Amino acid sequence: MKRRTLLKASLQLGLAGIVFPQIAIGAYPTKAFLAKEIPEVLREAFGSADIGESKQIEIEAPQIASDASMVPVRVSSGLENTESIALVVTANESPFTAYFKLYEAPAFVSTRIRMSATSDLLVVVKADGVLHTNKRPIRVGLNSCGV
Amino acid sequence: MARTLKIRAHEVDGQVTVKSIIDHPMETGRRKIQKTGKKIPPHFIKEVIVSRNRKIVMEVFWGKSISRNPYLSFQIPGRKGDAITISWLDNRGNSDSATAKVR
Repeated sequence: MKRRTLLKASLQLGLAGIVFPQIAIGAYPTKAFLAKEIPEVLREAFGSADIGESKQIEIEAPQIASDASMVPVRVSSGLENTESIALVVTANESPFTAYFKLYEAPAFVSTRIRMSATSDLLVVVKADGVLHTNKRPIRVGLNSCGV
Repeated sequence: MARTLKIRAHEVDGQVTVKSIIDHPMETGRRKIQKTGKKIPPHFIKEVIVSRNRKIVMEVFWGKSISRNPYLSFQIPGRKGDAITISWLDNRGNSDSATAKVR
C-alpha cells in the first residue's frame, strides 16, 4: 500500500514537472518589480497610475508589526470577477511585492511580507477589467529588514 | 531534493481553503556576511502555480519583499478528494512541486 501511494505521488510529481515549463513562460512582470517609485510601479504593472479607491477590498494586517520581516497579510476582494490582486509596500526599495492572478472565485489570498519601514500597504485589484485600490498603514517595530 | 512544500487543504460548503508553506531562504541580495562584508546574492521564488486536478486555478508572481519560508493561503471552489498541486520556480531555476488531497 505504501509503495503504491509513493508511486502515485511520484507520477503526479513527474506530470507536474512536464506541465510546469509551459506555464512558466507566463509573463513575469520584471519591470514592475524593478520600479522604485509608486506611480512608476503602477504604470509598469497596470498601465496607469490613476486608480480609484474601493472599500470592497478588505485588508487584514496588524496595525503594528512586531517582526518587519514577517508581516502577515490577508486580502479579500468583494468585487465581482476579480482577475488579479497585487500587493505594493510603499516604503520598500522594490515596492511591488506580489501579484496573484486568479482564475476562480472567491478572491482571497494570504501571505507574509517584508517591510523596510512604517508605510502603507497598497492593494490593487483588477475586477472586470477595471482597477481598484485600497490601502492600510502598517507600523513597523524596531528591527526592520531593509528590502 | 528534500521536500520543500507543505500543503493542507480542507473543504467546507464547496469552498476549499488551502494553506501552504514553502521552505526557501528568499534572499533579497541586500544581506551581508558579517565577517567578510560580502553580499549574499539574491535567491528568491519568482513564480508559484496552483492547480486543481491539473487545471491551473492561480498564478502567483513574487518579488524579494516576500518573507523567508513563504506562507501562501487562498480559497478556491472544490470538493473533497480533489488534488491540489503547488509548484514553485526561483530565480536560479530551481523548482519543486507537491500535491495534496482535499480533506
